[in-house]
Amino acid sequence: MIVTRLQQVLGSMRPGATSGFVAGLIMLFLILIGIPINIQSLALFVLLLIVLIFGVRLARRAFDAGETFGYIVKNALALSVVAALVVFLFMSLINRWQANGISVKTYFDAVSLTTMNVLSGVPESELHPNPEKDILTGEYPEGAELRTNPMRLTFDSETGLRLKLGLTGDAWVDLNLGIGGFYGFMLLIVVVGMAGALIAWGANVANVGRYRTQTAGYLSDNLIAHWLVLLLPLLLFGFLWLTKGQDGIDPIIRIGGGGQEVQLLLGFAIVLFGLVAIRAAQPVDWGLAYPVRVGIVAGLVAGVAALAIWRIVGDGRYFIATDGSPRGNELLCVGIVLLVAAVAVVQNYFALRTPERFESQLAGTLALAILLILPLYLDQYQNDVLTLVGINVLLGLGLNIVVGYAGLLDLGYVAFFALGAYTYAFLSSNQVLVDGSGNPTGLKFEGNDETVIRIAAWVFTTAIVATAIVAGGLYLWRRSQAARARRAADRRQLLDIDPRPSGGVTLLLTVIAISTSLLFAILLDNSSLYRRLFDDTSPFFIGLFAGVIVSGLSGIMLGIPVLRLRGDYLAIVTLGFGEIIRLLFTNLRDFTGGPQGILQIPRPLPENASGPVSYLSLVYLIFLGAGLVAFFSARLKQSRTGRAWSAMKSDEDIAQSMGVNLVQSKLTAFAIGAAFAGIGGVLFAARQRNIFPNDFRLDVSIEVLSLVIIGGMGSIPGVIMGAIALIGVPEVLRELSTYRILVFGALLVTMVIIRPKGLLPAPTPQLQERARALVQRHVSQEDRSP
Amino acid sequence: MTEQANERPILLEARKVTKRFGGLIALGDLDLVIRQNQIASVIGPNGAGKTTFFNCITGFYTPEEGEIWFDGHPIQGERPDQVTARGIARTYQNIHLFAGMTVLENVMVGSHANLLASPVGAMLRPPVNRLEEDVALEKAYRLLDFVGLGEDGDTLATNLPYGSQRRLEIARALASDPKLLLLDEPTAGMNPQETEATMRFIRRLRDERDLTILLIEHDMSVVMNISDQVSVLDYGRKIAEGTPEEVQQNPLVIEAYLGAPAEELVTGFLDS
Repeated sequence: MIVTRLQQVLGSMRPGATSGFVAGLIMLFLILIGIPINIQSLALFVLLLIVLIFGVRLARRAFDAGETFGYIVKNALALSVVAALVVFLFMSLINRWQANGISVKTYFDAVSLTTMNVLSGVPESELHPNPEKDILTGEYPEGAELRTNPMRLTFDSETGLRLKLGLTGDAWVDLNLGIGGFYGFMLLIVVVGMAGALIAWGANVANVGRYRTQTAGYLSDNLIAHWLVLLLPLLLFGFLWLTKGQDGIDPIIRIGGGGQEVQLLLGFAIVLFGLVAIRAAQPVDWGLAYPVRVGIVAGLVAGVAALAIWRIVGDGRYFIATDGSPRGNELLCVGIVLLVAAVAVVQNYFALRTPERFESQLAGTLALAILLILPLYLDQYQNDVLTLVGINVLLGLGLNIVVGYAGLLDLGYVAFFALGAYTYAFLSSNQVLVDGSGNPTGLKFEGNDETVIRIAAWVFTTAIVATAIVAGGLYLWRRSQAARARRAADRRQLLDIDPRPSGGVTLLLTVIAISTSLLFAILLDNSSLYRRLFDDTSPFFIGLFAGVIVSGLSGIMLGIPVLRLRGDYLAIVTLGFGEIIRLLFTNLRDFTGGPQGILQIPRPLPENASGPVSYLSLVYLIFLGAGLVAFFSARLKQSRTGRAWSAMKSDEDIAQSMGVNLVQSKLTAFAIGAAFAGIGGVLFAARQRNIFPNDFRLDVSIEVLSLVIIGGMGSIPGVIMGAIALIGVPEVLRELSTYRILVFGALLVTMVIIRPKGLLPAPTPQLQERARALVQRHVSQEDRSP
Repeated sequence: MTEQANERPILLEARKVTKRFGGLIALGDLDLVIRQNQIASVIGPNGAGKTTFFNCITGFYTPEEGEIWFDGHPIQGERPDQVTARGIARTYQNIHLFAGMTVLENVMVGSHANLLASPVGAMLRPPVNRLEEDVALEKAYRLLDFVGLGEDGDTLATNLPYGSQRRLEIARALASDPKLLLLDEPTAGMNPQETEATMRFIRRLRDERDLTILLIEHDMSVVMNISDQVSVLDYGRKIAEGTPEEVQQNPLVIEAYLGAPAEELVTGFLDS
C-alpha cells in the first residue's frame, strides 16, 4: 500500500527530477570546463542562475499544462534536490580523491582552485591532495600536511553555537544561512530552485507578462501569489539590510565567499523583483492602493541606491567589489546602481503601457545591468576586446542605416570612420604636427593658444544656445498647432498643420536666438568660464562634436555625386572614396603625420586620473555611444524617414512616385550613417591613442559590411550579435590557438547555411493592434462628441 | 456626357503634349481635359502611348513640348514626388509593392508627402511627431479597411494574393490624399467576378471619396460600363474622344482596333 502510494508520488515528480538531473549536469559541466577566471568569485551565482532558470521553466510549463500548485511544489522540490545531489555527489567524490592522494587537477585540467574554493568554502591553500601513502608501511610520509576527510559534521563545544559543517575545520557557520560552505551551497541550490519555480508560478498567477490576458479568471483565487510577488523584494531588502554591516558592528549574518557580490546581486534582484511587483499590482485589487504599492517598491529601489552610497561613503567598503580599485570606481558603482534603478523605473513605466512587452523589457534591464557591471570584472585585455566590439557595433549600426535601411551599398564606409578618428586626433593630439618648414599645423584646443580656445567656445556657445532656442520655439509653435488640431472636431486635421511658422514668428525667433546666444557667450566669457573649462576638461567632447560634424558633412559630400548611381556602380564609387580618403591621410603629411600617423591622442578623461578609471570611462563611453546609436536607429526605423528608406530600398522609382524625395532621403541616410561612423572613429582614436592611415584600409569596410550581413540586415540586435560573432568570437577563440581560424571559418559557413538571413533577422513590425486601438479610440471619441 | 458634367471645373489639362524617344513619337500633340469627379478612360492598342502619357503626368517623363496643368498649376517637368504632393497618385500595370514591408507600412509610405517629421524629429520623437505617426497609422488602417484588407495589416505585402495586392496598391495611392487617381489596367489578370467587383469599387472611390479617376484599361466591358469620358490613342495621337457610345461608333477607333477593312489593306499593299 505504502509502496504504491510512494510510486505514485515519485512518478508525478519525474519531470522535476529529470530537469533537476539536467541542471545538475550543466552545473557540473561548467565546473569542469572551468568557469571564466574573472567571474570566479561569482561562480556560485552563475551556477545558482542555472537552477533558477530551470525552476522558472518548470513552473511555466506546469502552468501552461494547467497543473496544480501541489504539483509545482513537488516537482520544484524534486528538481532542486536532484540538482543539488548531482553536484553534491561529484564534489564529495573529488574530496574523497583528494583525501586519498589523487590530484583532481590531473584529470580535470580546468577545475580551478578558485572555483573549488568558492563552491566549497575551503581555503585554496588546503585544496591540495594528500601525499601518497607509503606502500610498505601504509603510512603517510612523516611531516606531511594532511587533510582529513571533510565529509563530517561536528559540533564545536568550545564556542557553543558554532557548527562545523564545512569541508574543513575552518569553514564554519555562524548562524549561517548557508551561503558559502559546501553544505550551504547544496542547501542554496535547493532553496533557489524551489524559489525560482514558486516565484514564476506566483508571477504567472499574478498575471505578469505573457499570461496577462489568458488568465483573467485566475485573479481573485490567488491573492497569496500576488502578495508573494510584493513580499519578495521586501524580504530581499531585509536580507540585504541584515548583511550590510555597520561601523564597529559585525553584520548579523556572515556571508561566505564573494560577500559583496551577494550584496550587489541582491541589489539588482530587489530592483528587478520590484518591477515584477509593480507590474503584478496592476491587474488585481489587493485592498492596497496602487500608488502605495508603487511607493513601496520605489522606496526599495531608492533604498538600494542609498545603501550603496552609504556603504561607499560610510565605512569605505564597496557595494560593488572592485578589489580595492581607486576612488573613481566608487562613483562609477553608485552611478551604475542609480542608472539601472532609473532604467528599471522608466522601463516599468513603459511596460505598464504595453504589457505584452514586459518580459522582454525585464530581460533588457537585466542585460543592461550585466553589461554595466561586466567591465568592472574584466581585465584590461578583455575590456579591450569589449571596446573593440563596441566600436564595431557603432560602425555596424551606422552602416546598417545606409545598407540595411536605405539599401545603398557603401564599400567606402571606412572613410567616415577615418575622418572621425583623424578629426579628433588632429584637434587633441599632444604631438606637435609640423609642415615642411617646421611650423606647427595642429589645432590643439588644449594648449597655450587662448584665442583659439575662446573662439571655439564662442562658436559652440552661440551655436548651441541659438539652436536650442530655435528648436524650442519651433517645438512650441508646432505644439500649439497640434493642440489646435486636437481641439478641432476631426483629429485627422493634424495632417494639415503648416510646419513653417509665419514670417513674423520666424523673425522674432531669429532675433531672440541671435541676441540671447551672443549675450550668453559674452557673459560666460566675462566670467572666465571658458578659460577654466578648457584648462580643466579634456578636449574629447569638442573632438567628438567636431568629428561627428566633419564625418556627417563628408557623408553628404559623398552622397551628392553618387545620387544617381545604383547597385554595383555605387559600390565601386564608394570603394574609391574610401581609398581616396586613406591616401589623403597618408600623403597630407603636414596635417596627419603621413604614414607615421598621429600619436599621443589623449583618452576621454584627463591623464592625471588613475589608470583604470581613465580606461573604464572609455569602455562606458563606448557603451553609451553604441546604446544611443542603437536607440536612434530603432526610432529612425519606425518613422517617416525609415519607411521612406525602406521603400527606396525596395524600389526607388515607385518610392519617388509615392512622394519620397530621393535626394533628401539618400543624403539623410549617408549623413546619419557617416555621423555614426564618426562617433566610432573618435572613440577608436581615443582607444588606440595612436592612429595610422593603415588602420583604415578597405578591410574595415568589408568587415563591418560582413557583420551587418551576418547579423541580419536592418536588424539592430542582429548587428550587435554580428559584431560579437565577428569581432568577439575570434578573440575568445584565441585559446584554441592553431585551430582558431579553422573553427571561425566553420562557424561562419554553418551560420550562413543555417541562417541565411542573418543571426537575428529584423522582425516585421507589428502595427495592426495599435492601429485597431487607435481607430477604436477615435470611434469612441466620435460617439461621445455630439 | 451630360451638360452638367461639362460645367464641372477642369482638374487636369494636357495641351499639345509631345514625348519622343529618339525618332519615335510616343505622344504627339496630345490634348486632353479631365473634369472633376469624372471617371475618364484612355484606351488604345498596345504601344499607343497610354502608359507614356501616365508617366508624363506623374513626372517620370518630361514631355518635350506642351504643357500639363493640374489644379491650376503647370506640372510638366516636376519630379514625381512633387507631383504626388500636388495630389496625383497612381497604380501600376505590373504590381509594384514595397517588398519587405508589411501591408500597413506600405500604406503608410503612401502618406509620406502628408507627414512632416524630419529625421531629427524621428530620432527625438517629440509629442507632435508621435501624434502624427498615430494619425498616419490610423489612416492607413482605415484605408485598408476601406479596400477590404483590414485583417492583413501585419502580413508582408508580397505574401498577399494577387487581387489583394491590387487593392493594396490602390490603398497606398489613396493614402497620399490624391485629387486625381491614375489606374493603370486595374483589372488586368482578373476573372469576371473580380472585374465586376473592381468596377463597383472604382465607382465607390469616385462617389464616396470624391475622387477624379483616370484609367487605362483593355477590358472594353469595364471601359464602356463605368467611364464618363473615353479617349482613344493610337500611335501617340488622340484619334477619338467622347462618351462610350460615341467612341464605339467611331470608324477610326474600329480601324485602330480591328485594322482597316480588307479591301483597303489590299489596295494599300498594291500601292506600295
